[in-house]
Amino acid sequence: MRIAVTGKGGAGKSTVSGALARHLARRGHTVVAVDADPNPNLALCLGLPQETVETMEPILNALLASGHTHNDPKPDPEDLLTRYGLQAPGGVVVVATGKIERPSNACLCCGSHNTTRSFFGGLNADDRIVLADLEAGLNDLLWARPGPDDVVLAVAEPSAKAVEVARRAVAIAQGMGVQRILGVANRAESERDVAALSEALGIEVLPVAEDPAVEKADEQAMAPFDLDDTSPAMADIARLADWVLQA
Amino acid sequence: MADGGQTTERTPREEAVLATLDRQAAALGHLRDLAESATGDDQALGWVTLEAAADRAVRDHEPLLRARRLEALAPDLAAHQAGLEHHRRAAAHALSLLDAGVRRDAERRRGRRVAVIGKGGAGKSMISATVARLLARQGRRVFCADLDSCHGTGYSLGIGTTFAELPPEALEEHGGSSYGWRLATGLLPHQAVERHAVTAPDGVRFLTLGKIGDPAEQRARRSVVALRQILGGFAEPGWDLVGDLEAGPTTPFERYHSFAEQVVVVVGPAWRSALTARRLLPIVAGVPTIIVSNRFRDEPDHEGLAPEVRVPFDPAVADAERAGLAPLDEAPGSPAMQACAQLVELLTRDLHQTDNHREAVR
Repeated sequence: MRIAVTGKGGAGKSTVSGALARHLARRGHTVVAVDADPNPNLALCLGLPQETVETMEPILNALLASGHTHNDPKPDPEDLLTRYGLQAPGGVVVVATGKIERPSNACLCCGSHNTTRSFFGGLNADDRIVLADLEAGLNDLLWARPGPDDVVLAVAEPSAKAVEVARRAVAIAQGMGVQRILGVANRAESERDVAALSEALGIEVLPVAEDPAVEKADEQAMAPFDLDDTSPAMADIARLADWVLQA
Repeated sequence: MADGGQTTERTPREEAVLATLDRQAAALGHLRDLAESATGDDQALGWVTLEAAADRAVRDHEPLLRARRLEALAPDLAAHQAGLEHHRRAAAHALSLLDAGVRRDAERRRGRRVAVIGKGGAGKSMISATVARLLARQGRRVFCADLDSCHGTGYSLGIGTTFAELPPEALEEHGGSSYGWRLATGLLPHQAVERHAVTAPDGVRFLTLGKIGDPAEQRARRSVVALRQILGGFAEPGWDLVGDLEAGPTTPFERYHSFAEQVVVVVGPAWRSALTARRLLPIVAGVPTIIVSNRFRDEPDHEGLAPEVRVPFDPAVADAERAGLAPLDEAPGSPAMQACAQLVELLTRDLHQTDNHREAVR
């Protein structure tokens, strides 16, 4: 199964992706978490320590450093996963597609989108779950090109801007023929927040409650799942895992 | 083989570069005409604007002189550089004849060029829109551009929509431009703003990218080059430009902030927001930055990111954002809006400090 997590910047994509991957792994699934954001943070939300996150080598940066050019044959995604994937807590394997660090002449950004596409579509997803945490905004969703058999989670926090971005993400995913699309009302403070998103998206929406434990984890640079895996938000994300796994 | 007098065929890429240079030369020539024909205070404003524009143009031109892909254009590039230096010297000379007080007043009136960057959700749009409106309330002319393919600035400005796209007649297809489109030939940046920008509260003029998500039309891609050309080539004296960039490092990496003389880095309370800011600073190195802490409660400063302005957490602002309304209308006088006013003061202070900084960088 393939899951693409999309939404406005700051909506909670990485927080939801990290905890969802941990919940899925706990239920015995093999989970590959792909951080497709050129500003990668997912490893932190999966529970890897800060130092590891900062020294982690994304695929594209590693390939460029080793002299790889786009004229060379395309490396096999499974091979890249073996080389650059990191073991995160709970058995999740995490890999980042590319990080933008400093001004340079190499076009890292298209490269990172490209790597996302070949990775999201190229990894074997028959007997494992490939979960991609996409870059803020909608561009990466167009590049990742989820298909009819994939799952798309459109994450929004309760702001008019985030709801609008999620609405367009859902329209794009529907246009791509994706059948299973779920709205995620992150940082929901009331039923009204959930209803507002549901009404805007016109699809099923599940809440992830506003939760001081998540904020506390973020301030301490640790994964909310490791701080308290039964906090209201983590319990809600367990229900997202139920939804994802239902046949 | 001798190539004297022989006209070589330009690649689309080379044509696009030459078109950009022509546009820049025309803009600077226009500025110079304004400065030369103006009287009184407007004359000083014209010259300080020309000096700053020529200075920026020289800075932006340097990488082109070194670009191997543009070797065939070497004579054109050198001629253009000489033209830029000529404008710069003319402006410096004219300014040296002016009274120091007159010159300082002109510096204050000179348009600010501000790019706003940060992690998604940090509050870039809220701060861009509020700053734009507060600048306009001082009687300044303000153009605000939402460069995020996920528009949001329009809500924070208070226009009730996120969408203010350039119409098709302002654009033209061109193979050599990235994404294949550019601003229509003959349409000057300020004309594009005067004719096509939406007028937001307090008189702020506003444009956004086209909508992303329609693969057939590629509307966002179609307008991105044009919007950047408007910001980069804007040559009317006395306009402030505020550009709200897309979340994260991609657009700063692509130098969407290159029009700006000041970059505001918005940092939220979360550790990851600070991590993003630390990653962004080297990408925008060379342009003076102002760090703004948003949704500040009482947490300690992020290491190495001491903010110059703290915008306190404010439930009234959060409610406005929920509803898609302008915080400046919904929570006027709130501590958060007062902090934005403080940021505007910083942005409009005497530019000598930033000038010195620019000298140091150069």
